[in-house]
Amino acid sequence: MKLDAKIPEGPLTEKWDRHRFNSKLVNPANKRKYDIIVVGTGLAGASAAASLAELGYNVKSFCIQDSPRRAHSIAAQGGINAAKNYQNDGDSIFRLFYDTIKGGDFRAREANVYRLAQISNNIIDQCVAQGVPFAREYGGQLANRSFGGAQVSRTFYARGQTGQQLLLGAYGALMRQVKEGKVTLYPRREMMELVVIDGSAKGIVTRNLLNGQLETYAAHAVVLATGGYGNVYFLSTNAMASNVTATWRAHKQGACFANPCFVQIHPTCIPVHGDYQSKLTLMSESLRNDGRVWVPHNADDKRDPSQIPEAERDYYLEKKYPSFGNLVPRDVASRNAKEQCDAGKGVGETGLAVYLDFAEAIQRDGESVISQKYGNLFQMYEKITGQDPMHVPMKIYPAVHYTMGGLWVDYNLMTTVPGLFALGEANFSDHGANRLGASALMQGLADGYFVIPATIAGYLAETDMDRPDTDSPEFKEAEQKTEAKITRLLSINGKRTIDDFHRELGLLMWDSCGMARNEQGLQDALKKLPGIKEEFWNNVLVPGTGEQLNQSLERAGRVADFIEFSELMVLDALDRKESCGCHLREESQTEENEALRDDKNYSYVSVWDYGGENKKPTLHKENLVFENVQLSQRSYK
Amino acid sequence: MGWIKQIITTSIGKKSVMAVTGTGLIIFLFFHLVGNSMIFLGRDMFNAYAENLHRLDFAVKVFEIGLLILFLIHILFATLLFIENLGSRPQRYAVKKDTRRTWGSKTMPYTGATILVFLVVHLINFHFTDSNLTLSELVRSVLTQPYYAALYIICLLALALHISHGIWSLCQTLGINQPKYNKLLESGARSLSIAVGAVFILIPLLALFYSNFLL
Amino acid sequence: MKLINLIVKVWRQENETSSGSFQTLKSGPISTDMSFLEMLDVLNEKLAKVGKEPIAFDHDCREGICGMCGAVVNGHAHGPENETTLCQLHMRHFNDGDTLVIEPFRARAFKVVKDLVVDRSALDSIIAEGGYVSVNTGGAPDGNAVPIPQDTAEQALDASACIGCGACVAACPNASAMLFVGAKVSQYALLPQGQPESARRALDMVRKMDESGFGNCGNERECEAACPKGISIRNIARLNREFIKAAIISYEK
Ligand SMILES: Cc1cc2nc3c(=O)[nH]c(=O)nc-3n(C[C@H](O)[C@H](O)[C@H](O)COP(=O)(O)OP(=O)(O)OC[C@H]3O[C@@H](n4cnc5c(N)ncnc54)[C@H](O)[C@@H]3O)c2cc1C
Ligand code: HEM
Ligand code: FES
Repeated sequence: MKLDAKIPEGPLTEKWDRHRFNSKLVNPANKRKYDIIVVGTGLAGASAAASLAELGYNVKSFCIQDSPRRAHSIAAQGGINAAKNYQNDGDSIFRLFYDTIKGGDFRAREANVYRLAQISNNIIDQCVAQGVPFAREYGGQLANRSFGGAQVSRTFYARGQTGQQLLLGAYGALMRQVKEGKVTLYPRREMMELVVIDGSAKGIVTRNLLNGQLETYAAHAVVLATGGYGNVYFLSTNAMASNVTATWRAHKQGACFANPCFVQIHPTCIPVHGDYQSKLTLMSESLRNDGRVWVPHNADDKRDPSQIPEAERDYYLEKKYPSFGNLVPRDVASRNAKEQCDAGKGVGETGLAVYLDFAEAIQRDGESVISQKYGNLFQMYEKITGQDPMHVPMKIYPAVHYTMGGLWVDYNLMTTVPGLFALGEANFSDHGANRLGASALMQGLADGYFVIPATIAGYLAETDMDRPDTDSPEFKEAEQKTEAKITRLLSINGKRTIDDFHRELGLLMWDSCGMARNEQGLQDALKKLPGIKEEFWNNVLVPGTGEQLNQSLERAGRVADFIEFSELMVLDALDRKESCGCHLREESQTEENEALRDDKNYSYVSVWDYGGENKKPTLHKENLVFENVQLSQRSYK
Repeated sequence: MGWIKQIITTSIGKKSVMAVTGTGLIIFLFFHLVGNSMIFLGRDMFNAYAENLHRLDFAVKVFEIGLLILFLIHILFATLLFIENLGSRPQRYAVKKDTRRTWGSKTMPYTGATILVFLVVHLINFHFTDSNLTLSELVRSVLTQPYYAALYIICLLALALHISHGIWSLCQTLGINQPKYNKLLESGARSLSIAVGAVFILIPLLALFYSNFLL
Repeated sequence: MKLINLIVKVWRQENETSSGSFQTLKSGPISTDMSFLEMLDVLNEKLAKVGKEPIAFDHDCREGICGMCGAVVNGHAHGPENETTLCQLHMRHFNDGDTLVIEPFRARAFKVVKDLVVDRSALDSIIAEGGYVSVNTGGAPDGNAVPIPQDTAEQALDASACIGCGACVAACPNASAMLFVGAKVSQYALLPQGQPESARRALDMVRKMDESGFGNCGNERECEAACPKGISIRNIARLNREFIKAAIISYEK
């Protein structure tokens, strides 16, 4: 297979314009003759479905939750980036582009990232016009804050609920089209299979989660905006329903998967406190502006933090990175916390936590100032842990947060299956090997509001206008396949619960393919994974039946896919022997234990082609060419 | 005029009708209260007030008809709302705890119904009577009977409770709610209803315990 | 961390048409650090292991923002803690030996789908009637073109903090959705972008709300007390104002 990223000709700044000009268009009167399926109603999916419907296409919109408004995007807290330069602090489209490329450790495609930076400004305008209540200055102008990895203030926000407000904007636009009759909503539906006819994506099979019915839907194009797969690790900051099922099953139908091993771990999360734990909660990164990270000097020091004198505390980030201190990027902060805990210096009941201490800031600025800045975060922390950070240092630990990997897409966001598009966190994204804070929301909305409406026309204009038929054998076959899988899951009737398997998988992946990876660990995992899969399919216990609302069955299907997918993640991590961004191969470090990139050998996107059941996937490489930026090694010393 | 029907059949429309008629009734209540307060000034003042009032015969008639309409509308919509709300949760909770509802708000339909009963009794006592007594004699003859006095007191308590929620509630329904003066509004509504209740109730109390009442 | 044992009386209902009843279960030892949903997870694992069907309940983000979770616990929507969703309610607020009565959100407009899962799609249909600004993608003016006073933006955000969980409906003695609708209408009533459609929006959303089978607001304030985001009934007053304005002053019908 030959990968063609379809990057337009011309100078970086003109590529997107030229591309839009050169693309074929669909005549307004003909748009209503095309049906488009959009799976997912997060920022990417909702904005795409609404914008496509506005143009006149008939859109079918699917999501797992009972309402499109509940997609995982709702949970994003911090903000959304844009190159508005409202602060007059030297920002520009080029700087946002550069920061994103550099933040991604030079593993993203220049043309896409530049387009993203260009569109970022339109997103803010669009959202303001929709009535998204962004934070404002006294004079009524939009307010900004700064975020990790950038030296300018370019993050737009709405308190700690930016994702919610943006999603409600997109959801509103979507519901407006529902009212207009241009979008049909299918909530509580899970996509189970992609249907490919004559090599092109023509529809999907879904399970109606309320009554278990399998349903088939046909369309001229299928758009996947199904989010990330962080839940491979069982514990993550993702919502419970976040899954790999949609993208994995599309992968098995021919859509190549890119960079599956690129997973971002967020340094400030509330630590795990028991085996029953189901989810990890993110605490905004902004806390590191005033909190000091420390652990006891001596391993296994079990004293209460208040009993540990200043001299016996190790402020390891400040010591190791004097110029950035507690504000080093996410990956660096995360790895160092793990290092300390591995050395036995972790705190709390599990020993898997470090302190984030506000005592000094409180002494310096007073309780009221600190409370004003972080009051609601402290409250949230206290709600969960029962401790007040005003008096007891916070305990934090890194947690899986975001997946940069995803379905490979070209400049048009089309996967390697014609007619199948991937948007938002579901595609392999513009973030390279590491995503900067506040850039996922930007990318999801750029893809949905502005990119796909322009690029899908180019595909549809060359597609047969005849409506595909769900009675065709391909649909029947896909439906039967799904049915067989469900029947099998329900008939195993084994001894171990689904969560039990998921936990086992998560732990294995966290240990071997988590914050730091090495050949040995990865090889071990590769050996263990088939065993887990084997046991799962022989010993899992799925109660209930298939003809009803059955949340166990839903989870079982997702865990089955996570298990299969894990193998691909491990293979990918094994292949990439360099360290880059969030992917730290212990074999590839500088003398100071920092990630060491190998641009000569690994300046490519790893694109995996499904080989078939129990066969090795094939690796294709999309070489990354950098014409507009200078490759440099990151340093935060 | 279709739009009027469209509006008043919506939930907010119905509530607004309650609020507007409620406001009218409360205004009437104040006039009535002021008038009745003449009782405290003695028999002659009270009788003179009544006579003067009845000299405005035509105006009083108009006023009475208006009042009747207000009552009828208020009661009609209250009944409508009550019945609709009964159906809004076909399956009740096994356990349900209240947090912010008040005695007043909880009992609106029941205090309302009590007022209705009272109204009928009250009108039979004082309006649809063909006795030749002066007003002060009439009041005395009714309220010195312990059963009547007790009934009046209970019903007036219900009235006070009804408007204790009603005054605040009508503001909320008509969109008056501003943090700046909410406290004032709430305490104002409470004090007003207590004052109205207290003054009205004082009358049967006096009749019961003050042997020279209106003599 | 402490361990407590609870008696759980939970509503079990096979599907929309069946009648349902309470099932009494012993929780076994529960860590006080668990969230309420984690307690249900533990219970469900136990049920599954003995071949019984787990309790169905809706949830997704488990951090109090998606609005998917919710049940009435001991008579309180989302449980007894203030401004807390069920997923953020922690077991340290209960004592050893307590009995928990767990029921689905109940309202004529919310059908019970199974156990604690209810159908809240009526809320989406209300939004479809006008819970948005009608702008197409593209062609929006610069974000700073229209200044919005900070306080106005903050008030709009207070209103749009609504997570659409339906606790207001569940807690209302009349199962009214006025807080939900009030919050959405208020967001746009406050912002300049919402003005052009304000009359139409208020009329249409209220009509849809009525049609969907919600009860009438009785100004009882139970919604405000149950709201996990602390949304004030001031927003209901604003909705009333917007509606009356639209009904009497505007040209819209
Ligand atoms: C706690 C937290 C905080 C964050 N904060 C920020 C931030 O401040 N700034 C920032 O830029 N980014 C942030 N992110 C990242 C960002 O929120 C996500 O990357 C982004 O929202 C993903 O959006 P999406 O539209 O791609 O997918 P999602 O929002 O995940 O939506 C996925 C959709 O697909 C549907 N779906 C999935 N699978 C199926 C299936 N099989 N069948 C049918 N439907 C399916 C789901 O129902 C859902 O509607 C944060 C993430 C987390 C976890
Ligand atoms: C002097 C007599 C009365 C006065 C001054 C009065 C006043 C009021 C006021 C101000 C309200 C509040 C309206 C709102 O919420 O916006 C109200 C509500 C109400 N009234 Fe009355 N009222 C009187 C008599 C009655 C009678 C006779 C009945 C019943 C038969 C009644 C039944 C109700 C009910 C049920 C409500 C609550 C409606 C709701 O909240 O949905 N009232 N009243
Ligand atoms: S699960 Fe999302 S709010 Fe509770």
